[in-house]
Amino acid sequence: MNATQVQEIKPQLLVEGWVPPPLGRDFTVVGKPLDRLDAPEKVTGKANYAGDVSLPGMLHAKILRSPYPHAKVRRIDLSRAKEVSGVKAILTKDNTQGWYTYWYKVAQPAFPETVSYVGHEVAAVAAEDIDAARNALKLIEVDYERLPAVFDAEEAVRPGAPQVTVTDLPNPEPSSYGPTEPNIGNIYAGRPSVLTRGDIKRGFQEADVILEKVYRTPSQHHGTLQTRTCVADWNGDTLTVYESCQGVWKAKEDLAWSLKLPPEKVIVKVRYQGGGFGSKSGAQRFVHYAARLSMETKRPVRLELTRAEEFVSHPRRPSSVVYLKTGAKRDGTLTAMYGKAIVNIGAGGGYRPFINQLIGPPFLMYKCPNAYFEQWGVHTNLQYTGPTRSPLNVSSCCCVEAHIDEVADAVGMDPLEFRLKNYTPYADQVKMTPFSSKKLDVAMRCVTEAIGWSRRKEHAFLQNNMSKRCGIGMASYIFQGVGINPCKANAEVVIKKDGTIELHAAIVEIGAGSMTTLAMIAAEELGVPVEDIRVMYGDSEAGPYAPGTHASRIVPEMGPAVLQAAADARQKMFEVLAEFFKIDASQLRSAEGWIYLGSDSSKKVRFKDVCGLIGDKTIVGRGSRARNPGSGYPIRGENPVEGPVNFATFGASAVEVEVDVETGKVRVLRVATAHEFGRALNPKFCDSQHYGGVLMGIGMGLLEEPSTDKKTGIMLNTDLHQYRMPTALDMPLEIIPFNVEGDDGFFAYSAKGGGEGTNSAIPAAIRNAIYNAVGVWMYEYPMTRERILAALAEKAATGR
Amino acid sequence: METRHLEDSKVTSGHEGLEPHRTRRVVLDVNGKLWSLELECRTTLAEALREHLGLKGTKIGCNRAECGTCTVIMDGRAVYSCTVLAVEAAGKRIQTIEGLAECGKLHPLQKLFIQYDALQCGYCTPGIIMSLKALLDRGSNITRGDIREAIAGNYCRCGSFPNIEKAVEDFVRRQPDT
Repeated sequence: MNATQVQEIKPQLLVEGWVPPPLGRDFTVVGKPLDRLDAPEKVTGKANYAGDVSLPGMLHAKILRSPYPHAKVRRIDLSRAKEVSGVKAILTKDNTQGWYTYWYKVAQPAFPETVSYVGHEVAAVAAEDIDAARNALKLIEVDYERLPAVFDAEEAVRPGAPQVTVTDLPNPEPSSYGPTEPNIGNIYAGRPSVLTRGDIKRGFQEADVILEKVYRTPSQHHGTLQTRTCVADWNGDTLTVYESCQGVWKAKEDLAWSLKLPPEKVIVKVRYQGGGFGSKSGAQRFVHYAARLSMETKRPVRLELTRAEEFVSHPRRPSSVVYLKTGAKRDGTLTAMYGKAIVNIGAGGGYRPFINQLIGPPFLMYKCPNAYFEQWGVHTNLQYTGPTRSPLNVSSCCCVEAHIDEVADAVGMDPLEFRLKNYTPYADQVKMTPFSSKKLDVAMRCVTEAIGWSRRKEHAFLQNNMSKRCGIGMASYIFQGVGINPCKANAEVVIKKDGTIELHAAIVEIGAGSMTTLAMIAAEELGVPVEDIRVMYGDSEAGPYAPGTHASRIVPEMGPAVLQAAADARQKMFEVLAEFFKIDASQLRSAEGWIYLGSDSSKKVRFKDVCGLIGDKTIVGRGSRARNPGSGYPIRGENPVEGPVNFATFGASAVEVEVDVETGKVRVLRVATAHEFGRALNPKFCDSQHYGGVLMGIGMGLLEEPSTDKKTGIMLNTDLHQYRMPTALDMPLEIIPFNVEGDDGFFAYSAKGGGEGTNSAIPAAIRNAIYNAVGVWMYEYPMTRERILAALAEKAATGR
Repeated sequence: METRHLEDSKVTSGHEGLEPHRTRRVVLDVNGKLWSLELECRTTLAEALREHLGLKGTKIGCNRAECGTCTVIMDGRAVYSCTVLAVEAAGKRIQTIEGLAECGKLHPLQKLFIQYDALQCGYCTPGIIMSLKALLDRGSNITRGDIREAIAGNYCRCGSFPNIEKAVEDFVRRQPDT
């Protein structure tokens, strides 16, 4: 064996301290397609989102945004604006010096001296009503000194390019999203991230076929139906914020740092949340202004972004240009892989965790002894970029999975066969670091069989003269987000003498069903029906520190914590009963609301009936997640595979499309899609994640593209008619979801989570199916009708 | 001095120059109840429902007839309440999501939405349910194409459409033939 082979690590539930024993019986709750606990409020209109909160004496706020992509804010004249009747406070850089907003612990000036994108904040107004706030905004006079701007990443790295003013403060803390090293020119950290093994020069010499291509992926907006909205209420002592964010604890920390308040003086509440997709992980910039305005005026302040503001102001998915060169032998063996990715990260935001996320997937997924990839983050005068459902995973997949099909085609191999031939079970192919579980092969076989891969005709287009032509394609993915170190995730389970069982999990339910899923874990472990659990959530006061609901973190991070808390509470309950019944606690078992007093199953008591025995010593079970033993997510670790074991989820999608060669319209007819959940705790919710992934994947693959004016840097399609997201009519006629399961002892009942990854393979699978249908390889996403027609015209003109 | 502002006049109801706002007494028939309100003429039906009647089940996602979250039923038709003026709605029969459950008992469509997990974040759900209610009230022989068309003006970014279709198809199957 290789001397550098990593030491094997025994799978064990990732919790601090006591490790609960295995359940020792069949599941009674987990794995069942139960209904969402919060669904009745959602279908009746009783669910109150942040925008529905109205407090007495509430003021309304508006934000003044820069019309220029790059400018010095020389002077701001408020004299006319202040005269508007009803205006209570105006904040600008002049009266808030040294004030920073926080985004993943990254400090950004609330009102920068130099604005670096169209939409950058210049002033914030609070007034008695929204009209007064709007009128005041129009009367604020700003003297800007315009600076040269650059919008294209490839232009931004050329000598003499305008220098983007990046205002994010460096932050060396590993869990921060901020830069650690100074930029050089417009280049993030002054250098690319590099992943390398073997010797690519030799690898290319050994190749029979070498393919070299360039791919382009767009930015994508989250398009949450609820625009960012909050109500901030400062009562002179405590700040309470009704937020629309994805993490109450994160937002609490962000606001406390920004406003220099002790964390216990900040309460963040998000009971219902109208869509996140990564865009609202912690407090976003807008909420800081509402909070400070509330502190200035001592009145509650409501701030709701308009749809247009929503488009220009939040950190969206970065766009990218990716050069790929691959060498393979005639038999399909990969000999060398080279890649260079240039990522347009805008004026700042949250690039740090993604520094190698575009190049990581090809490095990790394919068995190839010689590989070299580099990823450049480049600043431009476009809006901030940041987490967006599978941030650069999906961008990576768009390019790499497209490229892999072309390489397979070049050596005359079936794309599925090619992927299986170059399959690796290892995360680190040199050290042979294993994944805790990897079922990508199962996923690929499931989806291809379901789509009818055997119906797929190689080069179907050669035999077809119809104007509408069908094709089949596939793609696969890895998502490295099974917990993010330090994996600070805690839960409590409380049992009271009146039979109340409370799960305290201070998470936000963003729609994935996390709240119900965690309740199911607690119910399973306690042995009670899920209806008996009252979940305290969506409030920073609901429980100890919990992560934000993003990066598919809740199940892999909170799952073990909740399991441990529930098991701890159950054991404490058993001890109370053992003393009362004079038996040994180890003989007690519980399931479906009953506690069994020994091996005789007729000797049982109702869980609820015996809670009175607790007396006034309310039971509190506690659970805390331990760190991942290796890297789970490449935050600034150059190497995405550190430690003895690596965690990731995998998946694959296969699609059948119909391409109209007259109009360029692509219809996705059918999709089969698989994600490795480890355990589908609630298969109904897992299916829903597949559907959501398909929708966002079709959007990125075919429809959605922010259009920016090349001279002014202004985004032109800031509305939902022109920024075209998929509707019901764009959805496939059939979606066949697969929830791939398999043992993984590190997680609660093996559940590794999902949701984030499910969109990753869809755009590339569509692209590969388009080739199968009409014989053109597309190199730029989204594959709009214009681009399809242009590609078809080029094929007709060149014969290729 | 150079002053320019990022234009967002197309975004919300900006009505400078109309002050003092003209008001009018409007009687709205909402979920079978009559409400007499003194409203500014510019008030949209969505604003009247949310701000004046406290019916916040009707959500606003764009306020310019693009997203469908504000959908209510007016005289049997699904409309975007953000682009109907309250004065236009006077005398018409308005149904909102709050009127669907009777005496706390969920409407069968609401039950099926829960059963089929036809929602995720839930923000679009009231609008989608009202679009579908208008379809179902209109007639029989409802096909999958009809369902898709009925909600083609409602975005759901969470992607619940497949489950929504299944829920409605089940609803249609359960109805006695007409």
